[in-house]
Amino acid sequence: MFSFDPYSPAVDADPFPYYKTLRDEHPCFWSPEAQMWVLSRYADIVSAGQDWQTYSSASGNLMTELPGRAGATLGSSDPPKHDRLRGLIQHAFMKRNLLALEEPIRDVAKQVFGQLNGVDEFDFKEVSSQFTVKVLMAALGLPMGDEALVPEHEVRENAVMMVQSDARTRAKGPEHIAAYNWMQEYAGKVIAMRRAEPRNDLISNFALAEIDGDRLDDREVLLTTTTLIMAGVESLGGFMMMFAYNMATFAEARNAVVTSPELLPDAIEESLRFNTSAQRFRRRLMKDVTLHGQTMKEGDFVSLAYGSGNRDERQYPNPDVYDITRKPRGHLGFGGGVHACLGTAIARLAVKIAFDEFHKVVPNYTRVADQLPWMPSSTFRSPLVLALKRV
Amino acid sequence: MPHITYVEASGQSTTVNIPEGWSLMQGATTNGVEGILGECGGSCACATCHCYVAEDYLAKVLPASDTELAMLDNVAAERRPNSRLACQIKANTALDGLVVHLPATQE
Repeated sequence: MFSFDPYSPAVDADPFPYYKTLRDEHPCFWSPEAQMWVLSRYADIVSAGQDWQTYSSASGNLMTELPGRAGATLGSSDPPKHDRLRGLIQHAFMKRNLLALEEPIRDVAKQVFGQLNGVDEFDFKEVSSQFTVKVLMAALGLPMGDEALVPEHEVRENAVMMVQSDARTRAKGPEHIAAYNWMQEYAGKVIAMRRAEPRNDLISNFALAEIDGDRLDDREVLLTTTTLIMAGVESLGGFMMMFAYNMATFAEARNAVVTSPELLPDAIEESLRFNTSAQRFRRRLMKDVTLHGQTMKEGDFVSLAYGSGNRDERQYPNPDVYDITRKPRGHLGFGGGVHACLGTAIARLAVKIAFDEFHKVVPNYTRVADQLPWMPSSTFRSPLVLALKRV
Repeated sequence: MPHITYVEASGQSTTVNIPEGWSLMQGATTNGVEGILGECGGSCACATCHCYVAEDYLAKVLPASDTELAMLDNVAAERRPNSRLACQIKANTALDGLVVHLPATQE
């Protein structure tokens, strides 16, 4: 009998055969292991993502939610509260407002990937994590250099740990909760620092923001900041690992983008479709919904399997082929609807610059190992280690 | 499903059926309409799904929210009284037959 357990290491390693069975045979599937429904077809996921009144995020959007977080962040609240929070932040993430970051991001990329000169074999995570944390620190205005509160690698390690879950207990383990608490404490210190001496940066502006004369409550500021750091560091880092994985695996595509770097944006879009790191998010039903002959009840949780919708042959021909000429418009690599990723523009910009610079130093490479250690996470998918060697 | 017609700046016209509840942006990007980008994915955060709603349907389309009105300040092409963001208009039966014109540029 078919089962789909988003906590199983087999799903972490390769969810795509499961997704195909889900789409073809069980398009509205109850997973007893996850205790939620799973929607896997492109059209169903788009419909659910557009209908926030029915598919609510207010009970949390991570497949395995962190304690006390639901309702206080962008991703885990519904309009109008969601729109209020988002309105304070999204301006900073608009494409035209990121132009000033382009040069600093390129400087970071040159410095970080320059370390690979003369190196034949390396773990891509070592360089991508340095790059990601520095870019996010610059984008959010986290204290760096002399005023840094913690070593950069600790930010990355805790961001990666807090999104994981335990395959055996199907819950957050003590190590994941500890990382979440670490991140909250760190965010709290940054907020206090910026409130005491505000600067023109995202966290200062957010920490002091008022809406109709009211300051945001401290929990919203704390948990939204915590989530921005987590989402920024983990999601950008995870996606870079997946993009490097694809570039190392598909030599023809890599040769094309190394020869013609202007193809990088197309390759990035195809990677967002093909195997984006953000595989599944969840919603909670505000009313009964009948779909494909199944009735899902009010209060039930529903997983939107973006990674499956992106491989739906009903939407994308030959979905299991990585094709950088595809230009997969409307993909779900950043989710969709009101909760579509806040960081789309900075993610696209940062990844493009990173690989442009990486490929100048290491133009030809392949994976050292066939089997990779995949992160244990019911929500995200990326390898924990990606050993690459020059060819 | 309501059918919606997109007219590109080049004059090319595409009519598609869109499931009720889907945004006009989603209907365009899913069906290969080139003149709408929708870079942010539909969260009213990028102003690259700018469209002009045909006058005879303006009254049938729900009015723009404050968030959308503010984001319309960022459109690349000329903003007109009938300018809207396609990600904020959801298809429904009352909009069957709607024609939207697309600007020459979105960025």
